[in-house]
Amino acid sequence: MKNPVNNPHPAAPSGPPPVGRVVATELKPSTPHQFFFWTARESPVGIGAIVRVDADARTVFGVVTDGFAYSDLQTPMHAVIGADGDPAGTEEPTRRAEIRLFAAAVLRHLPEEPVQPVPLGLVHLASDADVVTALRMDAYTEGDTPTGIPVGVYAAGGLEAPVYVDADFLLGPEAAHLNISGVSGLATKTSAVEFLLSSIFQRFPAQKGRIAAVCFNVKGPDLCFLDQPAPLGEEDLRLYARLGLTPKAFSPVQYYAPYKADGVNLNTLRTHEALQANTQPLLWGLREVLDYAEVLLNRDDVDAKADAFIDFLAERVVGREYEDNTLPRKFHVKSFADLDEFFRAIFAVLEDAGRGGEVWRTHHIATIRKIRNRLGNISTRSKGLVTDDGDVNDLPWGGFQDRGLYVVDVAGLDPLAQDLVFARLVSRLREQLERRELGVDHVVVFVDELNKYAPAEGPDSYVRKMLLDISERGRYLGLVLFSAQQFRSQVQRRVVGNAGTTLMGRMDSDELALPGYSTMSPATKAKLAALPKGELLVRHPHFTQPIFVRFPRPAVLSGREGVERFPPAIELPFVEAVSRRLRALDPSLASSKIQDLVAGRREADVRKALNATLRARPDQPFAFFVKCLGREVKAESAAPKPGIRPVRTSADPY
Amino acid sequence: MPLTIRELRRLLAPVPGLVAASVVPAASHGREVEACITPATLIEPGPVTARAVGAPEIWPGPVAFLDGTQRFEVAAYVGTSPLMLAEVAGAVRERTGRDTRTVAVERRAFAIGRREVLAALGGALAGIELVALPEDTPGHPLRDIEAARHEVDRARGEVERIVGDRYRREAPGRWLVVDGSLAESPAWALDARMVGVSKSHSTLPFDGDDLVTYLQLPAGHRSSIFQPASRRHAPVYAWGFRLWPWAGRDLFYGLVRIEVAARRESLAAADAICRWLLAERAPISAPDGRWDRLLYGIRSVEEYLRAVRGER
Repeated sequence: MKNPVNNPHPAAPSGPPPVGRVVATELKPSTPHQFFFWTARESPVGIGAIVRVDADARTVFGVVTDGFAYSDLQTPMHAVIGADGDPAGTEEPTRRAEIRLFAAAVLRHLPEEPVQPVPLGLVHLASDADVVTALRMDAYTEGDTPTGIPVGVYAAGGLEAPVYVDADFLLGPEAAHLNISGVSGLATKTSAVEFLLSSIFQRFPAQKGRIAAVCFNVKGPDLCFLDQPAPLGEEDLRLYARLGLTPKAFSPVQYYAPYKADGVNLNTLRTHEALQANTQPLLWGLREVLDYAEVLLNRDDVDAKADAFIDFLAERVVGREYEDNTLPRKFHVKSFADLDEFFRAIFAVLEDAGRGGEVWRTHHIATIRKIRNRLGNISTRSKGLVTDDGDVNDLPWGGFQDRGLYVVDVAGLDPLAQDLVFARLVSRLREQLERRELGVDHVVVFVDELNKYAPAEGPDSYVRKMLLDISERGRYLGLVLFSAQQFRSQVQRRVVGNAGTTLMGRMDSDELALPGYSTMSPATKAKLAALPKGELLVRHPHFTQPIFVRFPRPAVLSGREGVERFPPAIELPFVEAVSRRLRALDPSLASSKIQDLVAGRREADVRKALNATLRARPDQPFAFFVKCLGREVKAESAAPKPGIRPVRTSADPY
Repeated sequence: MPLTIRELRRLLAPVPGLVAASVVPAASHGREVEACITPATLIEPGPVTARAVGAPEIWPGPVAFLDGTQRFEVAAYVGTSPLMLAEVAGAVRERTGRDTRTVAVERRAFAIGRREVLAALGGALAGIELVALPEDTPGHPLRDIEAARHEVDRARGEVERIVGDRYRREAPGRWLVVDGSLAESPAWALDARMVGVSKSHSTLPFDGDDLVTYLQLPAGHRSSIFQPASRRHAPVYAWGFRLWPWAGRDLFYGLVRIEVAARRESLAAADAICRWLLAERAPISAPDGRWDRLLYGIRSVEEYLRAVRGER
């Protein structure tokens, strides 16, 4: 008999049937922010589901935060008695009365005032339109100038709805920054950021200005193939369509990586010949380093005197002609090599002065030696990034492209050099954004392993102070920090606290047990601890409760796929490496021609010519390279100068 | 949907001349029968014996359970005459697979009192059924309450018959287990697919050794089949059946009386029905104090009726 004889609970006349009913008891009352409802045993409702309660003239939206089930069994002993003590005995012919009770946190009341406890009413799963209203997305996804950025798809009970975050609250000026946490390998942090960047580039409203992103690749090949499209499965394509996005690789993309110590092989896993067209060396000279010397020096006991000497060098010596009557000649310091000569000249002067020669122009010799050691150390530890000869190849300051992606691969760099790269690039971005000179109005900076750069504990560092500054003031400039780490608790609280939008992938249970997560229900934590790949918990200023969403995999090759398809080139000997870099500019160039040209030339000269060619990207790279390299000066053996004959003298009278 | 007693009380509040009261008389929740022995006729030959029925078996196919509830309270007095409010309800819940759901329900709420008491209500209970007590004797508050209880018993029997008949019309071939006697309705007493399970043993069918055998049945045993002597509407076949061991507890612990239609095929089905009922011991109906005799299916009907009435 399918239909009851007289159904005591007739279904609603139209629309999808309700999935539950609100219940409120003295022990579990409804409040303005929480309510309980029960459902049938088989119900599509789960943790994170968005529901709608209809009662009289009030509609309430909520998100399920916890679930309970219990039967009318008062004590386990009754179950034992009923089964005659045999758990394998005959199954009970009647299933015990059982309840599925869910707790839901209120997302929104309609009308908003007066704020009242949630009424007893029927509970429906939220439709697309309900999700928009419940998450207050109507405020920014509708109208003439929508600012919604798709972040994923909310799915529950066969219903699916796109979820948008507000560009004004993700990229400024109202709020900004995004932080993502989750365990390595399972939380899909990098994929989430790649997808979101793609979403931003496709949907960031034109009237809000131009936007670009700078990503720091800090480990392995993670971000090395963002310009390479990846084949997607049907489900991913469907999700892209549902979100109104086009699955495509990033374009334009520029890669920057320092050289290895040899100065010609790039220190990155993106060395496959097919990828060289948009892979450039990141090369800095003395000036670029000196401006950020604090980054390198703050780990030690650098005092005000050292700071003063560095400032003296930066303002008076480097990059200009310096003349001092205590020194034997004029100096024009442009490179580390020039600087070292300058230092040697000072030391010579002080040594000649003998007693009392401990101070040169108010700077004590110990301070000068300390700074010389530190700066010398930089060029040693950061060899490949920092050149002795003053060559520079940098990001396109002032010429950032709209929707352009700039990836800086620092994975192979010494931590000190990573700090330097990070500090300098972010500081330059900030300066140029302040002056509106960058070429774009907004820049997203993506930093993985934030716990390393802005740790919760430990001495204050230049990088941490800078990150804090961005997180607190960056939104006014258009400088937006997207950051990721495994454990949020290990990151400076103010840095993550200033992130307007927070994403969480699969989380570590120990991390979730910390007080910082106490506002989450046990069920939400349990779901987070077992969250499948491709799902995230999203916190956003417009959402009064965190929401679970699913996102498609990015339409670009992952690091592992990229390395398989574009295996890194074997590190080549100097000449061949030069040949390969030039052939990246002009594949028609014959390797033998280049090798013949550079054979026997000084490596420093070849490097200089190569870098100049790579910087200039001329139409005829070989000709340009030849010109930079100059004519070969054949070694000539100098004829011995005629000696001066000794003066003939008379015999020694003694 | 009929009003509850609590709601009816609210309607009475403004009525002049009524003195509010709140008395729940003893036995207001169920029938009360005087203990007696009424000798029955044995259908199976020989003295009364205990017969093992075999191992429990799950009831084949869907099976429905029917029960009713009743409640009445003294709500007010007009002079010395009580005004009583009553609710009766009956329901059938059908089990398909392992899940049970309500397929028929009937509820009634009414006021009972002497004519002058009902007249004093004016229109306060407009639309509510009013039941007048017989006035062949002078008014006596306790006698009026007792008469009202009989009226509530009768009303409950009536709603049970209504839902039983309704279910039977809709599902003629399905098993229907009734809480209590089949003798409430002649149709039920003839129905080969209805089983009455009575927890009450106020009327015993035997005396002497037969009674000893009957009341000391071991668990999983039934008595010989007999035909109870005085049934209100129609003859039925019956037997005693022990669901749980009684030693160390009470003679009536786990003992139920099964009633079926007085038909030849009922004799052959007796052991099978017992095996099915044996399987119905689980899940047990605890924490209900009658769990040793109360089938879970029957309890679910009671729980349903209590729940819709908002009773804790």
